[in-house]
Amino acid sequence: MRSADLVEFAWRVVRGYRSRTLLILLAMGIGVAAVIAVSSIGEGARLYVVNQFGALGTHLVIVLPGRSETAGSMPGVLIGETPRDLTLDDALALKRSPSVRRLAPLIVGAGDVRAGALSREAPVLGSTAELMAIRHMSLAQGRFLPAGDPRLAQPVCVIGAKLADELFGPRAVLGEWLRIGDRRFRVVGVLAAQGQSLGFNTDEIVIVPVAAAQALFNTEALFRILVEAKSREQIVPAQTDIEEILRVRHEGKRDVTVITQDAVLATFDRILRALTLAVGGLAAISLAVAGILIMNVMLISVTQRRAEIGLLRAIGATGRQIRLAFLTEAVLLALGGAALGLAAGKLGQVVIGQIVPSVPFTAPWWALVAAPLTAIVTSVLFAVMPARRAARLDPVQALSKR
Amino acid sequence: MIHLAGIERIFRVGGEEVHALRAIDLEIGQGEYLSIMGPSGSGKSSLLNIIGLLDRPNAGRYTLDGRDVTGLSDDEQARVRREKIGFVFQFFHLVPRLTAAQNIELPMVLAGIAPEERQGRIARLLADYGLEERAGHRPDQLSGGQCQRVAIARAMAMQPEVILADEPTGNLDRHTGQEVMQLLEGVHRAGGTLAVVTHDPEIGARAARRLRMIDGAIHSDERGDQRG
Repeated sequence: MRSADLVEFAWRVVRGYRSRTLLILLAMGIGVAAVIAVSSIGEGARLYVVNQFGALGTHLVIVLPGRSETAGSMPGVLIGETPRDLTLDDALALKRSPSVRRLAPLIVGAGDVRAGALSREAPVLGSTAELMAIRHMSLAQGRFLPAGDPRLAQPVCVIGAKLADELFGPRAVLGEWLRIGDRRFRVVGVLAAQGQSLGFNTDEIVIVPVAAAQALFNTEALFRILVEAKSREQIVPAQTDIEEILRVRHEGKRDVTVITQDAVLATFDRILRALTLAVGGLAAISLAVAGILIMNVMLISVTQRRAEIGLLRAIGATGRQIRLAFLTEAVLLALGGAALGLAAGKLGQVVIGQIVPSVPFTAPWWALVAAPLTAIVTSVLFAVMPARRAARLDPVQALSKR
Repeated sequence: MIHLAGIERIFRVGGEEVHALRAIDLEIGQGEYLSIMGPSGSGKSSLLNIIGLLDRPNAGRYTLDGRDVTGLSDDEQARVRREKIGFVFQFFHLVPRLTAAQNIELPMVLAGIAPEERQGRIARLLADYGLEERAGHRPDQLSGGQCQRVAIARAMAMQPEVILADEPTGNLDRHTGQEVMQLLEGVHRAGGTLAVVTHDPEIGARAARRLRMIDGAIHSDERGDQRG
């Protein structure tokens, strides 16, 4: 028997029993679509997190005061002793490392920001000119904090787009003065609207020179230091250098925590990938259910088509040909179901993407391959038993019953 | 060409043994026309199934065209059926979802004959059995007589040497039955070997050689034209 004829024979069976075919296509389709939709949600979440980290900066090394001895807890929060503060001089000393491209000390606080009669509470960041490059910020108008000696507390500030709108409305913002606490700052720049970035809305912040922030919050202590290594390969040397420089500066005590963004990102990446695999696997169970349905339907079909099988035997079909005919039928059904499922899964992905546009939902390549493949393999596996039963049917008995 | 020696066939029904065929010795020559008659349960169909290689005897030897086919594997027997034997059944046994032409094509599909060759043969068979108009119809759109004509055309598709018909007129009215018998006899006239199982004496009497079976054994084996 030619393979083209085999496929055509099976195709006629598939077309001949419409409702049965539709039922199987539906079951297979739902299975495949579920795997694709679920895994694309997982993958979307993963990409979302990766992108968010990417927006924070590249080749980033973050220095925090205090030493975290146990993973997971915030350093300096759970340990009993108060760690030595990170100071501006500590930050500037890090420039001695050849692996460091640029760095930005960071002080974070909240302040009452007033312009004229309007006032609101806003997060205040104290930093230097290099923050913009490190955090990939962009300006809507004006310029960023001036470069120069970071110890100088120049009375200038850069504000977020939303804050600018709320405080000044349609008026020109640049050159205007605003008050934070009891100090006055001239607005020199407005940040481009960027939105949420890992829980920190840059549209609503005020950025002032680090020395001004120190004065404002009356503290020497830095919240953290953001360091950008020269390249991906330089991240580890930079980390080592930073630890060494700070250890020497802190009288031999290792009382800072240096984390790399890559390490954090890699952890998130691993967790989310595993999660995607797990939920994809759960969805794949529906494929097994579809396989069992195929087996059931095929078994019924063998019983219904006893006379036909007997006839095929009588006109010279070998057991192998009968078996192949049933298996081909299963493959056709699985292919149809897989195609249907791929289309439905893709559609579902687009629909979810419309509802939650900020998350990049894409089915991972392995799901696109694994889901249809699993569908085909399960349906063939589950069709083996009915196909063998058909092939073993005694032709005399098969023909004798009507 | 067909040689049966000491054929026994025993069925087990419940705990009881039913002797369907007892010590059958039978020789059928090339081009013979033979009818097998007898009451129900006398083993007519069992004999036909053995000759058609659909069933295996419990004992005895079956030689077809000088080849011992008793011990062949299932697949080898299937190949012999495909090449040498054409079946016609009481209930036609057409595949319901296929058209008349597709039903006729089926044995050639199983044999792996090239599509162009198949189309030629189908056209000839449709013409031979007066089915040109019905080629695209499915069995449920055909009358009983037409169905049986499709079945005969299908049996002839592989140009077999032997045609085995099990009650070919059993499901047809008298007139249509006569027509079908004439078609089958046409095969015989063209040189084929024809064996017809029937319990209609009128049909049975048409054959040149008439076997009568009782209780699984050949009771009588007459030759010569009975028709007046």
